[in-house]
Amino acid sequence: MMTLIVPIAADHADYARKLPSPFKYDDEGTMFCVKAITGLPMSEISEIYFVILREHEERFMLSEQLSMQFRKHKLTNAHVTILDNPTSSQAETVAQAIRINNIEGVVFIKDADCYFSTDEILPQNGVAIYALENLPIVDPQHKSYVAVDDMFYVTNIIEKRVVSHFFSAGGYCFEDAGEFCHYYDKLKDYTPLYLSHIIYSMLLDKKIFRPIEIDDYKDWSVKYAMHE
Amino acid sequence: MRLDIQGHSGCDIAIVNEDNELHIHKSTHDPAYVPRLINQANKQITASKREYQNIRVPKIFEVEQSESDATIKMEYIYSKNFVEYFENAGFEQIKYLIGAIKYFIDLEINASTMQTVPSHILTDKMADVARKVSKNIHLKDDEEALKLVKRSQEIMDGVGDMEMPVGTCHGDLTFSNILFNGNNYYLIDFLDSFIESPLLDIVKIRQDTAYLWSTLMYHKPFDKVRLSIVSEKIDKAIDEYFTTQYQWYRKYYMPLQLMNFLRILQYGHDEKVIAYLKRVISGQLATLNNSKND
Repeated sequence: MMTLIVPIAADHADYARKLPSPFKYDDEGTMFCVKAITGLPMSEISEIYFVILREHEERFMLSEQLSMQFRKHKLTNAHVTILDNPTSSQAETVAQAIRINNIEGVVFIKDADCYFSTDEILPQNGVAIYALENLPIVDPQHKSYVAVDDMFYVTNIIEKRVVSHFFSAGGYCFEDAGEFCHYYDKLKDYTPLYLSHIIYSMLLDKKIFRPIEIDDYKDWSVKYAMHE
Repeated sequence: MRLDIQGHSGCDIAIVNEDNELHIHKSTHDPAYVPRLINQANKQITASKREYQNIRVPKIFEVEQSESDATIKMEYIYSKNFVEYFENAGFEQIKYLIGAIKYFIDLEINASTMQTVPSHILTDKMADVARKVSKNIHLKDDEEALKLVKRSQEIMDGVGDMEMPVGTCHGDLTFSNILFNGNNYYLIDFLDSFIESPLLDIVKIRQDTAYLWSTLMYHKPFDKVRLSIVSEKIDKAIDEYFTTQYQWYRKYYMPLQLMNFLRILQYGHDEKVIAYLKRVISGQLATLNNSKND
C-alpha cells in the first residue's frame, strides 16, 4: 500500500482573481485535480492527500468543494492538507505534506494538471512515462524527459530537453517518504527545484528507478493554456 | 577552409580543413608567449604518449616556431563542452567520468615521486600575489581584498615544507579544458604549473566541482540546479577518494586551493568575478582557521 499526494500549492499572480486551473470542473462536474487521480489503481492506495494553499482555500472555499468531490467519487480515504504559505517548488509541497501528516513508506506523487491510467504501481522508486509519439499535440518545452535502458531501468531524467521519446507523465513513486525528504533537504536551497532534480540526484547515488508505463495520457495544462 | 576563434589563453585558435580532415592550429604572435606555448606543446606531446583508458590527449602533428611566433597543429576533436555534456549525461556517464578522473590522477601520482617542496615556493608565490594585487587597479584600493591577501599570507607562512608527489600534472585541469566525446574525455590546454604535482590537478578540477568556477564563464542558458547536483556529486567522490588515501592531500589541498584562487584574484578585473573570488577566498580562510583550531 502507498500514500498518494497531489500537490496543488503553487501560487501565481493570476490566482488572486482566478480559480487555479486544477480546481476547475470538467463537463461531468468533476474537479480536474480529482479527475487526475481517477486512473490510478485505488486498491493500492491507503490514504490520499490533496495539498492546497490557505489563501486559495479562503478565497475559493476549496476544502468544502473537495469534500463533495470525495463523496461523489467515493474517495473515503482522501484528505485536504492546507499549507499556510506558498511553497517554492512541488518538491517542497510534497516534503511539507509528508512531514505534516507523518507519512511513512511508499508515496506516489501525482501532478494535478494531467490524467493517465495504469493498472499497477509497484511499491518501488519509479517515474510514469509516456511516448511523445502517442500525443496528438506536443508541447515539448514544458516537460521533463526520461531515458530508459533496454532492461527498463531509468538512466536519466532531464528538464525541458528532448533526450528520449519518453517524457515524464506527472506521476512519481518514492519507496521511502523519509528518503524523499532527505534528498529534498539536501537540494532545497537550489531554485528552481524540480522533482526531476530530486530523482536525478538519487540516480547519481545509485538509487534504482523503474519506468511506470501508463495509458490514455491527457495533458490539461495545454488545454488550460489554450482557453486562458 | 579556416575558421578563426579566440582561445582563453589569448592565443589564436583556427579550425583548418585540410583534405577533409579538421585540424586545430593554435598560435601566438607574442614573442614573450612563444616559450610558454612551446612548453605546453611539449607537455601535451609527452602526455599523449601515455595510455589513460577513457582520458585522451589530442595528437600534435607539428610545431612551428620562430623568435616571434609559434603554431601548434593538432588533432580536432568532435566534442561537447562540460555544460552541454552534464545537461545530458545520465548517472552512468557521470560515474565513468568520476572513475576516469581518479584513474588519470592516480597515474600521474604513480609517475611522480614523493618530494619535499620547500616552504619558500609557496611564500614566494604569495609575495608575488600580494605584489600583483597591490598593483591591480581594480584591487589596490579594495580593503576587503587587501585584508584577505594579508590573512592568506599568514596562512601560507605557517604551511612550511610540503611532502607531496612531484613530477607530472596537466597544469590547468578545469572542466573548460576537457572536451567531452561520448565516454572519452580529451584534455587540452596543458600548462606549466608552479609545482608540477598531481595535487595541483586535483586543486584545479575541484576549482570547478567545489566552486563552479567555469560556469562563471559560460553565458548560454543552462540548468544550473542540475549542473550543481552533478558537480557536487563529482566533488564529493573525488574528495573522499583522495582524503582516504593520501595524507599529503589532506594536509595541503586547502592551502593550495586558497593559493589557486588568490592567483586568479590577482588578475581580477570584472566586478562580479572579483566579488565571487572574495567570497570564495573568505570561505577558504574560515575553513583553514577552523581546521587550525581543531
